Amino acid sequence: MRAFGYTAPADPATAVRLAAQPGTTYVAGGTDLLNLMRDGAEDHEHLVDINRLDLAAVTADDAGLHVGGLARMRQVAEDRRVRTGFPVLSQALLASASPQVRIMASIGGNLLQRTRCGYFRDPGSACNKRVPGSGCPAVEGQNRMHAVLGGSPHCIATHPSDLAVALLALDAVVRVLGPDGARQIPVGELYREPGDTPHLENTLRPGELITAVDVPGGPLAQRSRYRKLRDRATFEFAVVSVAAAVHLRGGRVRDVRLAFGGIGTRPWRSPEAEDALRGRALTAVAVAEAGRALVRGAQPRQHNAFKVELVQRALTGALHEWGALR
Amino acid sequence: MSRLVGRDVARVEGRAKVTGAARYAADQPVAGVLRGFLVLSTVARGEVTRIDTGEARGGPGVVAVYTHRDMPRLAVPEGFYVKGFLPMQDARVYHNGQPVALVVAETFEQARDAAARVRVEYRAETPVTALADAAGQAYLPPPFHGEPNEVIRGDTGAALAAAPVRLDVEYRAPAHHHNPIEPHATTAVWDDGRLTVYESAQGVNATRQMLAAALGVPPANVRVISEYLGGGFGAKGLVWPHTLLNAAVAREIGRPVRTVLTRAQMYTSNGHRAEFHQRLRIGATRRGVLTGIEHTSTAQLSRTDQSVFNSSIATHTLYACPNVHVRQLGADLDLPTSSFMRSPELAAQFGLETALDELSHRTGVDPVDLRLRNHADAGPGKHLAECYRMGAAEFGWRRRERRPGATRDGDEYVGWGMATETHTYGNFEASARVTVGTDGRVQVAVATQEIGTGTYTVLSQVAADAVGVPLDRVTTRIGDTDLPPAGLSVASSTMPSVIPSVDRAGQDARAAVIRLAVADSRSPLHGVPPERVVTDRGRLVDSADPSRSDTYRAVVGRHGRAVPATAAVRNTPGHTYGAVFVEVRVHHRYGRVRVTRVVGAYDPGRVLNRRTLRGQVIGGVTWGIGYALTEHTVVDRATGRVVNPNLSTYLVPVNADAPPSVTALFVDQPDPGSAAMGAKGFGETPMTGVPAAIGNAIFHATGRRLREVPFTQDKLLL
Amino acid sequence: MSEEEPVPVRRRTVLKVATAAGTAAAAGAAVPVTGAAEGATAPAATVPPTVPAGASVEITLSVNGARRRVAVEPRVTLLDALRDRIGLTGTKKGCDRGECGACTVLADGERIKSCLTLAVMRQGSRITTVEGLARGDDLHPVQAAFIRHDAFQCGGCTPGQIMSAVACIAEGHDGSDDEVREWMSGNLCRCAAYQNIVAAVRDAGREMRG
Ligand SMILES: Cc1cc2nc3c(=O)[nH]c(=O)nc-3n(C[C@H](O)[C@H](O)[C@H](O)COP(=O)(O)OP(=O)(O)OC[C@H]3O[C@@H](n4cnc5c(N)ncnc54)[C@H](O)[C@@H]3O)c2cc1C
Ligand code: FES
Ligand code: FES
Repeated sequence: MRAFGYTAPADPATAVRLAAQPGTTYVAGGTDLLNLMRDGAEDHEHLVDINRLDLAAVTADDAGLHVGGLARMRQVAEDRRVRTGFPVLSQALLASASPQVRIMASIGGNLLQRTRCGYFRDPGSACNKRVPGSGCPAVEGQNRMHAVLGGSPHCIATHPSDLAVALLALDAVVRVLGPDGARQIPVGELYREPGDTPHLENTLRPGELITAVDVPGGPLAQRSRYRKLRDRATFEFAVVSVAAAVHLRGGRVRDVRLAFGGIGTRPWRSPEAEDALRGRALTAVAVAEAGRALVRGAQPRQHNAFKVELVQRALTGALHEWGALR
Repeated sequence: MSRLVGRDVARVEGRAKVTGAARYAADQPVAGVLRGFLVLSTVARGEVTRIDTGEARGGPGVVAVYTHRDMPRLAVPEGFYVKGFLPMQDARVYHNGQPVALVVAETFEQARDAAARVRVEYRAETPVTALADAAGQAYLPPPFHGEPNEVIRGDTGAALAAAPVRLDVEYRAPAHHHNPIEPHATTAVWDDGRLTVYESAQGVNATRQMLAAALGVPPANVRVISEYLGGGFGAKGLVWPHTLLNAAVAREIGRPVRTVLTRAQMYTSNGHRAEFHQRLRIGATRRGVLTGIEHTSTAQLSRTDQSVFNSSIATHTLYACPNVHVRQLGADLDLPTSSFMRSPELAAQFGLETALDELSHRTGVDPVDLRLRNHADAGPGKHLAECYRMGAAEFGWRRRERRPGATRDGDEYVGWGMATETHTYGNFEASARVTVGTDGRVQVAVATQEIGTGTYTVLSQVAADAVGVPLDRVTTRIGDTDLPPAGLSVASSTMPSVIPSVDRAGQDARAAVIRLAVADSRSPLHGVPPERVVTDRGRLVDSADPSRSDTYRAVVGRHGRAVPATAAVRNTPGHTYGAVFVEVRVHHRYGRVRVTRVVGAYDPGRVLNRRTLRGQVIGGVTWGIGYALTEHTVVDRATGRVVNPNLSTYLVPVNADAPPSVTALFVDQPDPGSAAMGAKGFGETPMTGVPAAIGNAIFHATGRRLREVPFTQDKLLL
Repeated sequence: MSEEEPVPVRRRTVLKVATAAGTAAAAGAAVPVTGAAEGATAPAATVPPTVPAGASVEITLSVNGARRRVAVEPRVTLLDALRDRIGLTGTKKGCDRGECGACTVLADGERIKSCLTLAVMRQGSRITTVEGLARGDDLHPVQAAFIRHDAFQCGGCTPGQIMSAVACIAEGHDGSDDEVREWMSGNLCRCAAYQNIVAAVRDAGREMRG
């Protein structure tokens, strides 16, 4: 880790102005950034500490939930309004990392954390994400934890955030402030697939600061759940995960949102699976069809083919466990 | 008289550990200490062709950057250094993650930054990094430390051919890493040709010898101090390059240097449990009586060493089978040298005990009965049959449903499995000094180590009883080569090796003080025959006339000088046994396995401290769970780089993985063959059967037989 | 907290400032800015302090109740500041990546992993380490429970476990064994004294609630 400079501005405008400089980035909780810098996966000349900014509030109104970019994972997970009105968010956060990390880490930082692909985090390995053009050893190598959807020959790394999967299921929108002013980005448009530019992971412009995340409320959000499968009992990234929001009326699926973690190169929303369920009775047959729709086009590799099966089971199980499925 | 030994005594070093006062190797304050940071190779096989240290040297605070060109030339030590070569002596690269440069700077941050700026170019050759890629090249290595790699008893070929029931099965396990919580740390301080090293070492004397040999200095000029270890599990039992290189550059620079390995560096710097394949061919009668076992294992070796650590010793000692053929093959890979890791016989035991379960299923003989039927008598020191009975009774084994896959509870299948546990404990020469001070306090001194197994506590107990003083009057000093020499704290050998000497020295010190008392005209005991004097809680009492008594404090105080006694009593190595019973639950949909209940019954000889012994049981069980369910060092086959060199993707069990219920039972019969008050070496026993027991329970739960660890959910999508 | 803004310091002047800081602290005055970077002459509270790359900055932490001034480069973690600069080595470094929990301390009463935060980011914070729990000879109830229940072996993870346990109890996450198992899972114990850790946390929690 190089000797970097450090500024802790007190207002967002200054923060954005500073962060737009080359070689500069934000630090919030620091829980991912410091590891990336220690590992040599990232190298910054200057850090802009945003912890003094007044962006930590969580509010709720008719439109839904507004989570400050600097709200902490624990704070959001334990918020009563979140637990009752947006359970998938609370569950996804509580299934993330460890108590200590959740106390430290921010919502903005969580969305922008980077892949845990071992090749990416190791400067001694090739990686197109870290060094464009150097190759992707995961495609032919150790890829048990890698993506089966959204990959390219240049990168098959998954996005590790549980929260992003949950937000994606709820059609959340990220508010950002940049050198050119404020704008909004639906979470579904925040992440890019790797294609042949795996080093470009999101659609933020230089210096853009996540100031808040807006989450629409309503019956879907209220009936949302998160199910995460992993090899260790807890304190592990997802092998696969499901965020599901189902609104049933008269035994039929009135509306549904399904997003998945651990299987895609970005948090993975599946309109195909949703379509397979919408308007139908939530039967085992319908869910199985949704599962097949989800993995149609999956590209399993040597060690991760099981994810194709496991994620379908996770979907079935998730709906089943919550009593939505008979 | 024994008041403390055998009791559930709280750890005497507990306060130091819970207040942060205990000093581990990297905690020792050393004035003016520089920080070293290693640069490791990024190819597995080849040669360094160019190494540019210019930018690193120019970094702020950087004092020196060593490469193979200017690293002092050292001798490759033998014995407790098994790598076969020393890095940075020439350009050759034998494995990925091998030291190629060592940066020394004023601060840790500066050293780490400069290390990242050392540019190395290689001529790389294609490495072979997986056993599967070297299958044809396995060979029988020469005996390792006198242990043969082939054992033949009877005629196994004929026995297998004639057997009514035959089994031919293969088992696989990947490499594993010890991952003690405390990373390796070494600090070298030179003073006028004399070297002091603060080291996280499971053997201070072994470290001293290797340092002396490598650096060409007399051992007497090397002092190694290791007061506490934050875990070792074998990783710190042998000596590894960073310790030698760090001391060498500290001598060159003329200032103390401290190098602490990063977690990632620990994945190539201190050995590991080698990747291991095994094939078992078993012949038996229809009643499950073993007639022949052929056990062929293949372990990863490196191109620079031939050390086989995953011993299959249980296969030819544990059961009464007339025809046994054990072969421990190795295959040379371009990987770091492996070493021993907690319960090294585990890998083979996993195979043997799973195979017996398969035999059990084939013959319809209950797994416990099958083992009892094949029990090998080994004299009065073996209480394995008792372990089966105790464990089975406590677990409720006899209520076990016979058919696999028959028990379901909610979303989970429930299964019960069992296995035999056994460990061969080592023995090292040890001498100990016990001193009674003029204040009546007792000091134990022996250069053994505390790796968490309770050395401070148990030695204090033993000495307190031997001398006859309360526990709080004893201070135990260990982990320093200035103390009377002892061996490694590996192979569960610490207690059996050290206790006999501490006990004898304590008795001798006691006798010496009694002699002083009875000869001292100022003592109430003056003139009493020494054999009539008993000691208890710091007092010396005439057993014929209890009104005549004195105290250690008074006797030695009057004497004016401390009374020391040194003893060296050699014990013998031996075997410890147990039986472990586990209950698992397997999710019917996700295949995830939870271990929910464990009962272990053990024969550790005499129980010296139930508490520290139980600690080894709960630890061993959870280690077994890690081995069976989560742990796996993932190596990139093309490059030989470890892909998960951390603690978030190398999955050491967390608290929630540990079974809520673990019951530890002990036969508690002194082993007549052990000079350590009848105690045997135990620490590594209660892990050896756990992975097989878990696999057997998974079979019982689901009907699916898994033969390759880890048993992750993808293998159980039923 | 405004008088505790970090003060940027050029590398060469760290020693000088440290001395000056000593006097300033003794006098109870704000820390004088010596040879500092551009802009540092303005009052620290109004101008966002910028520490240029390569410079050190003097920060103030309250560690175990004592005010500590320490000069650090921005890249120094709180963990390394505690261990290498302040000399409090009770807090352990097991992984330096947030994965083991050995470095857990309390910052303003909350448990954090001190390897994942920069010391400069904690300017003005109240830090409690394992050295700050006991009152003289009286162990904190969690420490005593750890000894009673043999909740450690090698002790390498223990300072982190204990700090985490103190917070776990304060958070109210010690209501059942299963809850403790989950909420203590950010702290690895390779010796795997887990069942005993759970027992110690539950016991200490009951004791602390009286
Ligand atoms: C051991 C461990 C286990 C973990 N397990 C999980 C898990 O199971 N599930 C999971 O989802 N996550 C997990 N995480 C990741 C963790 O959630 C993230 O590290 C954390 O959320 C990042 O937040 P932060 O505030 O610390 O971000 P930082 O590390 O400070 O920043 C991360 C990135 O975001 C940028 N950034 C931060 N805030 C903003 C902002 N407001 N606007 C613009 N850019 C910003 C930074 O520049 C940086 O690039 C784990 C982390 C650790 C260390
Ligand atoms: S050292 Fe901080 S979590 Fe491991
Ligand atoms: S006591 Fe050794 S790691 Fe926990």
